[in-house]
Amino acid sequence: MPQNRNIAIRIIGIGNLLLGDEGVGVHVIRHLLDHSNLPAGVDCLDGGTGSLVLLEPLQTAHRIILVDATLDGAPPGTLRRLVPKFSSDFPPSLAAHDIGLRDLLDSFYLLGDELPDVILFTVSIAEMQNMVTTLSPEVLAAVPLVAAMVLEEVGVVDRA
Amino acid sequence: MSNRIVIDPVTRIEGHLRIEAVVENGVVTDAFSAGTMVRGIEKILKGRDPRDAWAFTERVCGVCTTVHALASVRSVENALGITVPKNAELVRNLMFCAQYVQDHVVHFYHLHALDWVDVVSMLKANPVEAAKIAQSISPWEKNTPGHFAAVQSRLKKYVESGQLGIFANGYWGHKAYKLPPEVNLLAVSHYLDALEWQKELVKIHTIFGGKNPHPNYLVGGVPCSFNLEEVNAINTERLNHIGSLIKDAITFVEQVYIPDLLAIAGFYKDWATIGGGLQNYLAYGDLPTKGYGNVDSFLLPRGAILGRNLNEIHEVNGKNVEEIKEYISHSWYKYGAGDGVGLHPFAGETEFNYTGPKPPYEHLNVEGKYSWLKTPRWKEHPMEVGPLARMLVAYAKGNTDVKELVGAVLKKLDVPITVLFSTLGRTAARGVETQIVAHWMKNFYDELIANIKGGEMNTFTRDKWEPASWPATAEGVGMTEAPRGALAHWVRIKDGIIDNYQLVVPSTWNASPRDSKGQRSAYEEALIGTPVANPEQPVEILRTIHSFDPCLACAVHIYDPKGEQVHQVQFY
Repeated sequence: MPQNRNIAIRIIGIGNLLLGDEGVGVHVIRHLLDHSNLPAGVDCLDGGTGSLVLLEPLQTAHRIILVDATLDGAPPGTLRRLVPKFSSDFPPSLAAHDIGLRDLLDSFYLLGDELPDVILFTVSIAEMQNMVTTLSPEVLAAVPLVAAMVLEEVGVVDRA
Repeated sequence: MSNRIVIDPVTRIEGHLRIEAVVENGVVTDAFSAGTMVRGIEKILKGRDPRDAWAFTERVCGVCTTVHALASVRSVENALGITVPKNAELVRNLMFCAQYVQDHVVHFYHLHALDWVDVVSMLKANPVEAAKIAQSISPWEKNTPGHFAAVQSRLKKYVESGQLGIFANGYWGHKAYKLPPEVNLLAVSHYLDALEWQKELVKIHTIFGGKNPHPNYLVGGVPCSFNLEEVNAINTERLNHIGSLIKDAITFVEQVYIPDLLAIAGFYKDWATIGGGLQNYLAYGDLPTKGYGNVDSFLLPRGAILGRNLNEIHEVNGKNVEEIKEYISHSWYKYGAGDGVGLHPFAGETEFNYTGPKPPYEHLNVEGKYSWLKTPRWKEHPMEVGPLARMLVAYAKGNTDVKELVGAVLKKLDVPITVLFSTLGRTAARGVETQIVAHWMKNFYDELIANIKGGEMNTFTRDKWEPASWPATAEGVGMTEAPRGALAHWVRIKDGIIDNYQLVVPSTWNASPRDSKGQRSAYEEALIGTPVANPEQPVEILRTIHSFDPCLACAVHIYDPKGEQVHQVQFY
């Protein structure tokens, strides 16, 4: 279904702020909003545990940059840049978001919309922590690094 | 030896519920429901400003965010004796109704329909025949041969790509699927329509709550500023937008959801005798029209039903320490006074005591502790919560809207009222409720517009906003109804900060383990007697569990920081 794509690039951080490192995606968004002057047409969204509410934000941008935590076994704080084509390309355990990112992306593909470019930055975490709203030192140190990668991604797109 | 089936995770979406069911001769004879994830909201809240609590509780769950915020601000208002202005009550009710309509429709199409609808079968359907059937039950504009053919070809491509994605976990071709290919096509087509529609409806939350996901709430009112002419306020344009979203919601529910529900239910009437489970129902009620303190003014009434006796409604008091208590005989916690006692949430204490096997494991030790969910009881009774409980309480209390619509649905399906005590009844009750709530949403909207036009703009009371005006200690309970059932937050405020904060969420009522007397909770009881044709593909178990709308990610919680065992809990 054709949508009005009025946003050039939308950066969405996903995660639960109540589960420590799992919420790193939202921490990255907060960092970007506090420390960067994003160019016009670039939009930042705290996706939280937003599930299907995020469908429209995905549909209304030309390019999507997702930031999320992953339990992929790599040392905590490890950063990866992925270009997923299918929901099954997403790394394991984006599990604490109720309706997960995979389900959301599946729904998105199912609607037959012309897909935006999706780029996913993941931050490896060691475990889900309970009862904390803060990040572990390794993951905290990764926040400005991911933010810088996101900004570089935005810059590249701008020049293109 | 009997065969014990393990379903883990049980939610089609990602979740943290594990069901172990014993199947003998093709029927479930015993069942165990376990929450396998623990979460720590209460600990995070201790020591914080009670006026901030809603922003944290709202993050507990991605599905019922707004209701956790509502329960939170109410608990604080209840503790401090704050009554919100009329417009604030109306805005909260509108957000509540929008959440219900969106959540129930999403549940039906995205989380439950695939238990009844065979996606693969629809590839064989004749789109012209499908359109004929669809047009015979509804005037929905997308019920055309062309639209159905387009959906079919899109799905075909999707299935052929090998990327089944959201449909990957289905038991397609199972003989328990009874719908003709054309009805399957109709349902899948509406599944996609629902996806598109729901994202519009939730803009009501964005407009009133300032953002989405996780809209803003406020102790003492709502953070909305009405000004019909002002660009940055909730102005005429935004109010008109909300009005048209409500109109579309009524259309979608009446032209798509309800006709589909009735059409599908007609093929599965045998499920009106399966999955009844407990005979007790509990509703806290909601949608106040004369203040949260005036329970009699609630459109969704409060009350308890015991033994399916609809002639007697018992009063429910969330503050009475003799009514709601939580037990831990089969939960991975310990109590100071011993594991056999029950504690009211105001007196709640919790210490982790993980005694389960180290994951990954084959079976839980169901003789001992086997869940991270505590076991809540109302006056010692296990209670079912959710749309069925709400509709039964409203019906028994004589609510005219509910009585009329329930009567009409029963007549249409040609079944007696006793069929409501079943898996199908639970699913039908959710539909009935959605239709009623969609119309109530319109009424609330009309009332709000009339107030604003009459010059009434106030949405917030400063009364008791300043902590200097608070008593040294105060206790409050915020009771509401999440779409999936009774939800309450209990708060104790001491010297201006949170001293204790506790949640009992709907899935804790329904999905909890047995109590100390061995009484099963709702999921476990409802599964007894469920037929299972093929233990390798237990779609029948999913039908009953999904009829409750499980949401385990928000059901597991703790009160105490001690508990290294958390690290052993696996995520699935």
